[in-house]
Amino acid sequence: MMLPSSLYRTLGLAAIALLLLATSCARLNITNYYHRHRASLDGIEENYRNAFHNKPFSIEFTDRSFNRVSLELVTDTLTYIYEYQIGEPRLQDTLLKFGYDTTAINWLVRTMRSRECTWIDNLDYYSETAKHSLIYISLWPRAFNSPFVNKKYYILTYFQQPQYFDSEGRLLVGHRLRRIRKINGDVYHRINDRVCYTISDRFR
Amino acid sequence: MNTPSLALIFLLLWSPLRGPAFAAPVSNHPASTPQQALELLKDTALPDSSAWWPNIKLPLFVANLKANLLFPLKIYQGSNTNFCGYAALSYLPLQDDPLAYTRFMLSLYTDGKASWNGIQFHPSPEIHRAAGTLRFKGILDIRPADQLWFLVLADHFRSYLNFFNRRFHPGAEDTFWAAVSYGKFNRMIRQLFGYRVEALGSDLIRPGFDDLYEYLRKAVQSPGTTYLYVNNTYLHKKNHNKFKGSFPTHFIVLNDIHRIPGETDMVNIIYWDYGGRTLRQVSLRFLKKIIFGVTHCTPPA
Repeated sequence: MMLPSSLYRTLGLAAIALLLLATSCARLNITNYYHRHRASLDGIEENYRNAFHNKPFSIEFTDRSFNRVSLELVTDTLTYIYEYQIGEPRLQDTLLKFGYDTTAINWLVRTMRSRECTWIDNLDYYSETAKHSLIYISLWPRAFNSPFVNKKYYILTYFQQPQYFDSEGRLLVGHRLRRIRKINGDVYHRINDRVCYTISDRFR
Repeated sequence: MNTPSLALIFLLLWSPLRGPAFAAPVSNHPASTPQQALELLKDTALPDSSAWWPNIKLPLFVANLKANLLFPLKIYQGSNTNFCGYAALSYLPLQDDPLAYTRFMLSLYTDGKASWNGIQFHPSPEIHRAAGTLRFKGILDIRPADQLWFLVLADHFRSYLNFFNRRFHPGAEDTFWAAVSYGKFNRMIRQLFGYRVEALGSDLIRPGFDDLYEYLRKAVQSPGTTYLYVNNTYLHKKNHNKFKGSFPTHFIVLNDIHRIPGETDMVNIIYWDYGGRTLRQVSLRFLKKIIFGVTHCTPPA
Protein backbone atom coordinates (compact mmCIF):
# COMPACT_ATOMS: atom_id res chain seq x y z
CA MET A 1 0.00 0.00 0.00
CA MET A 2 1.42 3.44 -0.92
CA LEU A 3 1.51 6.05 1.81
CA PRO A 4 0.53 9.58 0.75
CA SER A 5 3.40 12.04 0.48
CA SER A 6 1.80 14.29 3.10
CA LEU A 7 2.20 11.47 5.63
CA TYR A 8 5.93 11.22 4.82
CA ARG A 9 6.22 14.96 5.31
CA THR A 10 4.42 14.78 8.66
CA LEU A 11 6.63 11.90 9.83
CA GLY A 12 9.76 13.77 8.73
CA LEU A 13 8.70 16.92 10.57
CA ALA A 14 7.87 14.89 13.68
CA ALA A 15 11.33 13.30 13.59
CA ILE A 16 13.00 16.72 13.30
CA ALA A 17 10.85 18.07 16.15
CA LEU A 18 11.83 15.10 18.33
CA LEU A 19 15.49 15.68 17.54
CA LEU A 20 15.24 19.37 18.44
CA LEU A 21 13.40 18.49 21.62
CA ALA A 22 16.08 15.99 22.58
CA THR A 23 18.81 18.60 22.00
CA SER A 24 17.04 21.29 24.00
CA CYS A 25 16.36 18.78 26.81
CA ALA A 26 20.08 18.02 26.98
CA ARG A 27 20.86 21.74 27.20
CA LEU A 28 18.28 22.27 29.89
CA ASN A 29 19.50 19.23 31.74
CA ILE A 30 23.13 20.30 32.04
CA THR A 31 22.14 23.71 33.42
CA ASN A 32 19.66 22.06 35.78
CA TYR A 33 22.23 19.41 36.67
CA TYR A 34 24.72 22.12 37.63
CA HIS A 35 22.20 23.98 39.81
CA ARG A 36 20.98 20.77 41.44
CA HIS A 37 24.53 19.64 42.32
CA ARG A 38 26.12 23.05 42.56
CA ALA A 39 27.56 22.56 46.04
CA SER A 40 29.44 19.37 45.20
CA LEU A 41 30.53 20.52 41.71
CA ASP A 42 31.82 23.83 43.04
CA GLY A 43 33.46 21.86 45.87
CA ILE A 44 35.29 19.67 43.33
CA GLU A 45 36.48 22.79 41.51
CA GLU A 46 37.66 24.55 44.66
CA ASN A 47 39.45 21.54 46.13
CA TYR A 48 41.07 20.72 42.81
CA ARG A 49 42.22 24.30 42.32
CA ASN A 50 43.86 24.32 45.77
CA ALA A 51 45.44 20.88 45.38
CA PHE A 52 46.65 21.69 41.85
CA HIS A 53 48.21 24.89 43.14
CA ASN A 54 50.32 22.84 45.58
CA LYS A 55 51.34 20.20 43.02
CA PRO A 56 49.89 19.88 39.50
CA PHE A 57 47.95 16.74 38.48
CA SER A 58 44.87 15.56 36.57
CA ILE A 59 42.39 12.80 37.33
CA GLU A 60 40.62 10.58 34.79
CA PHE A 61 38.11 7.79 35.25
CA THR A 62 38.84 5.40 32.43
CA ASP A 63 35.78 3.14 32.48
CA ARG A 64 32.00 3.45 32.44
CA SER A 65 31.57 1.96 35.89
CA PHE A 66 33.96 4.53 37.39
CA ASN A 67 36.06 1.77 38.95
CA ARG A 68 39.39 2.58 37.32
CA VAL A 69 41.13 5.87 37.91
CA SER A 70 44.15 7.27 36.11
CA LEU A 71 46.34 9.95 37.64
CA GLU A 72 48.59 12.27 35.68
CA LEU A 73 51.22 13.54 38.10
CA VAL A 74 53.16 16.49 36.71
CA THR A 75 56.75 17.13 37.78
CA ASP A 76 59.36 19.51 36.35
CA THR A 77 60.88 16.83 34.14
CA LEU A 78 58.20 14.21 33.53
CA THR A 79 54.47 13.63 33.62
CA TYR A 80 53.75 10.26 35.22
CA ILE A 81 50.58 8.45 34.14
CA TYR A 82 49.42 5.60 36.39
CA GLU A 83 46.14 3.71 36.42
CA TYR A 84 44.55 2.04 39.45
CA GLN A 85 41.53 0.09 40.54
CA ILE A 86 39.53 2.12 43.07
CA GLY A 87 40.68 1.20 46.58
CA GLU A 88 44.02 -0.21 45.43
CA PRO A 89 46.71 0.52 48.10
CA ARG A 90 49.23 1.27 45.31
CA LEU A 91 47.44 4.58 44.67
CA GLN A 92 48.19 5.82 48.19
CA ASP A 93 51.83 4.69 47.91
CA THR A 94 52.23 6.66 44.69
CA LEU A 95 50.67 9.82 46.12
CA LEU A 96 52.94 9.65 49.16
CA LYS A 97 56.01 8.92 47.03
CA PHE A 98 55.39 11.98 44.88
CA GLY A 99 54.50 14.18 47.86
CA TYR A 100 50.82 14.80 47.04
CA ASP A 101 48.17 15.67 49.60
CA THR A 102 46.49 12.27 49.93
CA THR A 103 43.47 13.63 51.82
CA ALA A 104 42.63 16.15 49.09
CA ILE A 105 43.13 13.72 46.20
CA ASN A 106 41.21 10.89 47.87
CA TRP A 107 38.32 13.30 48.50
CA LEU A 108 38.42 14.38 44.86
CA VAL A 109 38.45 10.80 43.58
CA ARG A 110 35.50 9.89 45.83
CA THR A 111 33.44 12.96 44.97
CA MET A 112 34.19 12.81 41.24
CA ARG A 113 33.08 9.20 41.24
CA SER A 114 29.81 9.97 43.00
CA ARG A 115 29.13 12.88 40.59
CA GLU A 116 30.10 10.77 37.53
CA CYS A 117 32.82 13.22 36.64
CA THR A 118 35.24 11.54 34.25
CA TRP A 119 38.06 14.10 33.94
CA ILE A 120 39.41 17.15 35.71
CA ASP A 121 42.29 19.30 34.57
CA ASN A 122 43.71 22.80 34.67
CA LEU A 123 43.85 24.43 31.21
CA ASP A 124 45.83 27.47 30.19
CA TYR A 125 44.32 29.92 27.75
CA TYR A 126 45.43 33.26 26.40
CA SER A 127 43.77 36.66 26.04
CA GLU A 128 45.99 38.68 23.74
CA THR A 129 49.33 37.76 25.33
CA ALA A 130 48.15 37.33 28.92
CA LYS A 131 48.05 33.81 30.28
CA HIS A 132 45.00 32.67 32.27
CA SER A 133 43.85 29.33 33.52
CA LEU A 134 40.56 27.58 34.00
CA ILE A 135 39.39 24.37 35.62
CA TYR A 136 37.96 21.91 33.12
CA ILE A 137 35.52 19.30 34.43
CA SER A 138 33.95 16.60 32.22
CA LEU A 139 30.78 14.95 33.39
CA TRP A 140 29.53 11.69 32.01
CA PRO A 141 26.23 11.11 33.78
CA ARG A 142 24.58 7.83 32.83
CA ALA A 143 21.20 9.56 32.46
CA PHE A 144 22.42 11.60 29.48
CA ASN A 145 23.62 8.75 27.26
CA SER A 146 21.87 6.46 24.83
CA PRO A 147 23.46 3.05 24.23
CA PHE A 148 23.69 3.28 20.42
CA VAL A 149 25.00 6.78 19.91
CA ASN A 150 28.46 8.22 20.41
CA LYS A 151 29.14 9.28 23.96
CA LYS A 152 28.44 12.88 24.91
CA TYR A 153 30.24 14.63 27.70
CA TYR A 154 29.01 17.63 29.62
CA ILE A 155 31.89 19.98 30.17
CA LEU A 156 31.96 22.66 32.84
CA THR A 157 34.65 25.33 32.77
CA TYR A 158 35.37 27.43 35.82
CA PHE A 159 37.07 30.74 35.10
CA GLN A 160 38.91 32.82 37.67
CA GLN A 161 37.37 36.09 36.47
CA PRO A 162 33.87 36.95 35.25
CA GLN A 163 33.59 36.42 31.50
CA TYR A 164 31.85 38.22 28.64
CA PHE A 165 28.99 36.67 26.67
CA ASP A 166 26.94 37.61 23.62
CA SER A 167 23.16 37.99 23.63
CA GLU A 168 22.79 34.24 23.07
CA GLY A 169 24.93 33.47 26.11
CA ARG A 170 27.98 32.33 24.12
CA LEU A 171 31.41 32.86 25.66
CA LEU A 172 33.36 35.73 24.08
CA VAL A 173 37.07 36.48 23.90
CA GLY A 174 36.66 39.75 25.82
CA HIS A 175 34.73 42.96 26.24
CA ARG A 176 36.38 44.75 23.32
CA LEU A 177 37.12 41.70 21.17
CA ARG A 178 33.60 40.37 20.71
CA ARG A 179 34.66 37.16 18.97
CA ILE A 180 33.39 33.82 20.21
CA ARG A 181 36.04 32.04 22.26
CA LYS A 182 36.58 28.34 21.62
CA ILE A 183 38.07 25.99 24.17
CA ASN A 184 39.29 22.66 22.84
CA GLY A 185 37.47 23.48 19.63
CA ASP A 186 34.07 23.92 21.33
CA VAL A 187 31.84 26.97 21.84
CA TYR A 188 30.79 27.50 25.47
CA HIS A 189 27.56 28.83 26.99
CA ARG A 190 26.88 30.78 30.12
CA ILE A 191 25.71 29.23 33.36
CA ASN A 192 26.86 32.17 35.44
CA ASP A 193 29.59 34.83 35.11
CA ARG A 194 32.39 32.40 35.93
CA VAL A 195 30.98 29.01 34.93
CA CYS A 196 30.26 27.85 31.38
CA TYR A 197 29.23 24.59 29.79
CA THR A 198 29.32 22.78 26.50
CA ILE A 199 28.26 19.38 25.22
CA SER A 200 31.09 17.58 23.50
CA ASP A 201 31.97 14.19 22.08
CA ARG A 202 35.38 14.43 23.81
CA PHE A 203 35.94 14.58 27.51
CA ARG A 204 39.24 16.47 27.07
CA MET B 1 41.38 -2.53 -8.84
CA ASN B 2 44.15 -4.22 -10.87
CA THR B 3 47.32 -5.72 -9.42
CA PRO B 4 49.75 -2.95 -10.49
CA SER B 5 47.50 -0.35 -8.79
CA LEU B 6 47.44 -2.36 -5.59
CA ALA B 7 51.20 -2.76 -5.72
CA LEU B 8 51.63 0.99 -6.21
CA ILE B 9 49.37 1.80 -3.21
CA PHE B 10 51.28 -0.72 -1.13
CA LEU B 11 54.59 0.91 -2.05
CA LEU B 12 53.18 4.37 -1.23
CA LEU B 13 52.00 3.30 2.19
CA TRP B 14 54.74 0.94 3.25
CA SER B 15 58.09 2.06 4.56
CA PRO B 16 60.13 -1.12 4.50
CA LEU B 17 62.29 -2.45 7.25
CA ARG B 18 65.95 -1.92 6.61
CA GLY B 19 66.99 -4.19 9.42
CA PRO B 20 66.99 -3.71 13.17
CA ALA B 21 70.77 -3.21 13.22
CA PHE B 22 70.64 0.46 14.12
CA ALA B 23 73.29 2.87 12.89
CA ALA B 24 76.66 3.24 14.59
CA PRO B 25 77.58 6.27 16.74
CA VAL B 26 78.40 9.53 14.99
CA SER B 27 80.97 11.96 16.28
CA ASN B 28 79.96 15.39 14.97
CA HIS B 29 76.58 15.67 16.69
CA PRO B 30 75.07 17.80 17.93
CA ALA B 31 76.14 19.91 14.96
CA SER B 32 75.70 23.15 16.92
CA THR B 33 74.77 24.34 20.39
CA PRO B 34 71.89 26.43 21.74
CA GLN B 35 74.49 29.00 22.82
CA GLN B 36 75.65 29.51 19.21
CA ALA B 37 72.03 29.86 18.13
CA LEU B 38 71.29 32.39 20.89
CA GLU B 39 74.33 34.43 19.85
CA LEU B 40 73.17 34.47 16.23
CA LEU B 41 69.74 35.61 17.39
CA LYS B 42 71.28 38.35 19.51
CA ASP B 43 73.61 39.56 16.75
CA THR B 44 71.03 39.63 13.96
CA ALA B 45 69.30 42.94 13.33
CA LEU B 46 65.65 42.27 12.60
CA PRO B 47 63.12 44.77 11.27
CA ASP B 48 60.43 45.76 13.80
CA SER B 49 57.81 44.45 11.46
CA SER B 50 58.05 42.27 8.41
CA ALA B 51 56.19 43.02 5.21
CA TRP B 52 56.12 39.27 4.58
CA TRP B 53 54.47 38.42 7.89
CA PRO B 54 51.98 41.17 8.70
CA ASN B 55 50.58 39.37 11.75
CA ILE B 56 53.84 38.47 13.46
CA LYS B 57 55.00 40.74 16.27
CA LEU B 58 58.77 40.84 16.55
CA PRO B 59 59.04 40.71 20.40
CA LEU B 60 56.86 37.57 20.50
CA PHE B 61 58.75 36.04 17.59
CA VAL B 62 62.13 36.53 19.28
CA ALA B 63 60.81 35.37 22.67
CA ASN B 64 59.44 32.24 20.97
CA LEU B 65 62.78 31.42 19.31
CA LYS B 66 64.63 31.94 22.60
CA ALA B 67 62.19 29.68 24.43
CA ASN B 68 62.64 26.95 21.80
CA LEU B 69 66.43 27.17 22.10
CA LEU B 70 66.48 27.17 25.90
CA PHE B 71 63.66 24.65 26.40
CA PRO B 72 63.50 22.61 23.19
CA LEU B 73 61.24 19.95 24.68
CA LYS B 74 58.49 22.47 25.29
CA ILE B 75 57.62 23.04 21.64
CA TYR B 76 53.87 22.47 21.42
CA GLN B 77 51.73 21.68 18.40
CA GLY B 78 48.67 23.52 19.75
CA SER B 79 45.44 22.01 20.97
CA ASN B 80 43.25 20.34 18.35
CA THR B 81 45.63 20.96 15.45
CA ASN B 82 47.08 18.31 13.13
CA PHE B 83 50.60 19.71 13.57
CA CYS B 84 51.86 16.79 15.66
CA GLY B 85 54.02 15.43 12.81
CA TYR B 86 55.78 18.78 12.42
CA ALA B 87 56.15 19.23 16.18
CA ALA B 88 57.71 15.76 16.43
CA LEU B 89 59.99 16.61 13.51
CA SER B 90 61.13 19.78 15.32
CA TYR B 91 62.64 17.60 18.02
CA LEU B 92 65.59 16.84 15.69
CA PRO B 93 66.86 20.32 14.75
CA LEU B 94 66.18 21.74 18.21
CA GLN B 95 68.24 18.97 19.79
CA ASP B 96 70.90 18.43 17.14
CA ASP B 97 71.32 21.65 15.19
CA PRO B 98 69.66 24.66 16.83
CA LEU B 99 71.93 27.03 14.87
CA ALA B 100 70.62 25.80 11.50
CA TYR B 101 67.05 26.04 12.82
CA THR B 102 67.59 29.63 13.99
CA ARG B 103 69.26 30.66 10.73
CA PHE B 104 66.34 29.22 8.78
CA MET B 105 63.74 30.99 10.94
CA LEU B 106 65.54 34.34 10.76
CA SER B 107 65.86 34.03 7.01
CA LEU B 108 62.13 33.26 6.73
CA TYR B 109 61.28 36.29 8.86
CA THR B 110 63.44 38.76 6.97
CA ASP B 111 63.11 37.46 3.39
CA GLY B 112 59.76 35.66 3.45
CA LYS B 113 61.49 32.58 2.08
CA ALA B 114 64.39 30.35 3.08
CA SER B 115 66.22 27.16 2.23
CA TRP B 116 67.40 24.22 4.29
CA ASN B 117 69.64 21.46 2.99
CA GLY B 118 69.02 22.67 -0.57
CA ILE B 119 65.22 22.65 -0.23
CA GLN B 120 63.69 26.00 -1.15
CA PHE B 121 60.70 27.13 0.89
CA HIS B 122 58.47 29.71 -0.80
CA PRO B 123 55.40 29.97 1.44
CA SER B 124 52.14 30.80 -0.30
CA PRO B 125 50.43 34.19 0.34
CA GLU B 126 47.83 32.45 2.56
CA ILE B 127 50.63 31.27 4.85
CA HIS B 128 52.16 34.75 4.99
CA ARG B 129 48.82 36.11 6.19
CA ALA B 130 48.00 33.23 8.57
CA ALA B 131 51.21 33.06 10.61
CA GLY B 132 50.58 34.83 13.90
CA THR B 133 46.79 34.61 13.65
CA LEU B 134 46.09 31.07 14.94
CA ARG B 135 44.02 31.30 18.15
CA PHE B 136 42.48 29.11 20.84
CA LYS B 137 45.36 26.63 20.54
CA GLY B 138 46.81 27.04 24.02
CA ILE B 139 50.33 28.45 24.20
CA LEU B 140 50.62 28.27 20.41
CA ASP B 141 48.44 31.43 20.44
CA ILE B 142 51.45 33.46 21.62
CA ARG B 143 54.10 31.48 19.69
CA PRO B 144 54.23 33.11 16.24
CA ALA B 145 57.55 31.48 15.33
CA ASP B 146 56.07 28.03 15.94
CA GLN B 147 52.98 28.92 13.94
CA LEU B 148 55.23 30.07 11.11
CA TRP B 149 57.41 26.92 11.28
CA PHE B 150 54.47 24.48 11.30
CA LEU B 151 52.57 26.34 8.58
CA VAL B 152 55.60 26.60 6.29
CA LEU B 153 56.39 22.89 6.65
CA ALA B 154 52.77 21.90 6.05
CA ASP B 155 52.58 24.23 3.04
CA HIS B 156 55.71 22.75 1.47
CA PHE B 157 55.57 19.02 2.13
CA ARG B 158 52.51 17.31 0.70
CA SER B 159 51.36 13.70 0.51
CA TYR B 160 48.31 11.71 -0.53
CA LEU B 161 46.63 12.58 2.81
CA ASN B 162 46.64 16.23 1.74
CA PHE B 163 45.20 15.51 -1.72
CA PHE B 164 41.76 17.00 -1.06
CA ASN B 165 43.06 19.88 1.08
CA ARG B 166 45.67 21.43 -1.12
CA ARG B 167 45.50 25.08 -0.09
CA PHE B 168 45.51 26.65 3.34
CA HIS B 169 42.34 28.35 4.55
CA PRO B 170 41.54 29.60 8.07
CA GLY B 171 41.03 26.56 10.24
CA ALA B 172 42.97 24.26 7.88
CA GLU B 173 45.49 23.55 10.65
CA ASP B 174 42.83 21.30 12.22
CA THR B 175 42.13 19.39 9.00
CA PHE B 176 43.81 16.96 6.61
CA TRP B 177 45.66 19.94 5.15
CA ALA B 178 48.10 19.57 8.06
CA ALA B 179 48.09 15.77 8.24
CA VAL B 180 51.37 13.87 7.95
CA SER B 181 51.50 10.35 6.54
CA TYR B 182 54.20 7.95 7.64
CA GLY B 183 55.98 8.11 4.29
CA LYS B 184 55.95 11.92 4.31
CA PHE B 185 57.27 12.03 7.86
CA ASN B 186 60.26 9.86 6.97
CA ARG B 187 60.82 11.76 3.73
CA MET B 188 60.88 15.10 5.56
CA ILE B 189 63.56 13.84 7.96
CA ARG B 190 65.68 12.46 5.12
CA GLN B 191 65.36 15.46 2.80
CA LEU B 192 65.36 18.30 5.29
CA PHE B 193 68.00 17.15 7.75
CA GLY B 194 69.86 14.53 5.70
CA TYR B 195 69.41 11.90 8.39
CA ARG B 196 69.67 8.20 7.80
CA VAL B 197 66.17 6.83 8.37
CA GLU B 198 65.37 3.23 9.25
CA ALA B 199 61.61 2.82 9.12
CA LEU B 200 59.28 -0.09 9.70
CA GLY B 201 55.55 0.41 9.31
CA SER B 202 52.77 1.94 7.25
CA ASP B 203 49.63 4.07 7.41
CA LEU B 204 47.28 1.11 7.40
CA ILE B 205 48.96 -2.12 8.48
CA ARG B 206 50.73 -2.65 11.77
CA PRO B 207 54.27 -4.02 11.41
CA GLY B 208 55.06 -7.44 12.83
CA PHE B 209 57.76 -7.83 15.50
CA ASP B 210 59.31 -11.06 16.76
CA ASP B 211 60.03 -9.33 20.04
CA LEU B 212 58.66 -5.79 20.26
CA TYR B 213 60.32 -5.01 23.57
CA GLU B 214 63.80 -6.02 22.34
CA TYR B 215 63.30 -4.14 19.10
CA LEU B 216 62.35 -0.91 20.86
CA ARG B 217 64.99 -1.34 23.57
CA LYS B 218 67.73 -1.69 20.94
CA ALA B 219 66.38 1.31 19.06
CA VAL B 220 66.39 3.67 22.06
CA GLN B 221 69.81 2.48 23.16
CA SER B 222 71.33 3.14 19.74
CA PRO B 223 72.56 6.63 18.87
CA GLY B 224 69.87 8.69 17.19
CA THR B 225 66.20 9.37 17.74
CA THR B 226 63.36 6.84 17.75
CA TYR B 227 59.87 7.86 16.67
CA LEU B 228 56.71 5.83 17.10
CA TYR B 229 53.76 6.33 14.78
CA VAL B 230 50.76 5.46 16.94
CA ASN B 231 47.00 5.29 17.14
CA ASN B 232 46.41 8.16 19.52
CA THR B 233 42.77 7.31 20.22
CA TYR B 234 44.16 4.70 22.62
CA LEU B 235 47.29 6.44 23.89
CA HIS B 236 45.67 9.82 24.57
CA LYS B 237 42.06 8.76 24.93
CA LYS B 238 39.48 11.51 24.43
CA ASN B 239 36.27 9.50 24.61
CA HIS B 240 34.97 6.13 25.79
CA ASN B 241 33.51 4.97 22.47
CA LYS B 242 33.79 1.25 21.99
CA PHE B 243 34.41 1.56 18.25
CA LYS B 244 37.61 3.46 17.58
CA GLY B 245 39.30 4.04 14.24
CA SER B 246 42.16 1.61 13.83
CA PHE B 247 44.63 3.86 12.10
CA PRO B 248 47.61 5.91 13.28
CA THR B 249 47.23 9.61 13.94
CA HIS B 250 50.16 10.71 16.07
CA PHE B 251 53.96 10.80 16.24
CA ILE B 252 55.84 10.51 19.51
CA VAL B 253 59.54 10.34 20.36
CA LEU B 254 60.37 7.22 22.34
CA ASN B 255 63.06 8.11 24.89
CA ASP B 256 63.20 4.93 26.95
CA ILE B 257 61.55 1.60 27.58
CA HIS B 258 62.12 -0.88 30.38
CA ARG B 259 60.34 -3.82 31.91
CA ILE B 260 58.59 -3.45 35.25
CA PRO B 261 60.20 -5.90 37.71
CA GLY B 262 57.94 -8.83 38.53
CA GLU B 263 55.65 -8.20 35.54
CA THR B 264 55.77 -10.31 32.38
CA ASP B 265 53.92 -8.02 29.99
CA MET B 266 54.11 -4.55 31.55
CA VAL B 267 56.70 -1.94 30.61
CA ASN B 268 57.43 1.67 31.46
CA ILE B 269 57.77 3.86 28.41
CA ILE B 270 59.11 7.40 28.46
CA TYR B 271 58.08 9.43 25.45
CA TRP B 272 57.91 13.00 24.26
CA ASP B 273 54.86 14.67 22.78
CA TYR B 274 52.64 17.71 23.42
CA GLY B 275 55.55 19.77 24.72
CA GLY B 276 56.78 17.43 27.44
CA ARG B 277 58.02 14.02 28.47
CA THR B 278 55.69 11.39 29.91
CA LEU B 279 56.35 8.16 31.75
CA ARG B 280 53.56 5.65 31.42
CA GLN B 281 52.98 2.03 32.35
CA VAL B 282 51.55 0.04 29.45
CA SER B 283 51.36 -3.60 28.44
CA LEU B 284 53.32 -4.83 25.44
CA ARG B 285 50.00 -6.05 24.06
CA PHE B 286 48.72 -2.47 24.18
CA LEU B 287 51.91 -1.17 22.53
CA LYS B 288 51.61 -3.75 19.73
CA LYS B 289 48.04 -2.62 19.17
CA ILE B 290 48.83 1.08 18.86
CA ILE B 291 52.16 1.05 16.98
CA PHE B 292 51.92 1.44 13.20
CA GLY B 293 55.47 2.56 12.62
CA VAL B 294 58.90 2.71 14.22
CA THR B 295 61.38 5.15 12.72
CA HIS B 296 64.95 5.36 13.89
CA CYS B 297 66.97 8.22 12.51
CA THR B 298 70.63 9.01 12.85
CA PRO B 299 72.32 12.28 11.90
CA PRO B 300 74.63 12.43 8.90
CA ALA B 301 78.28 11.58 9.59
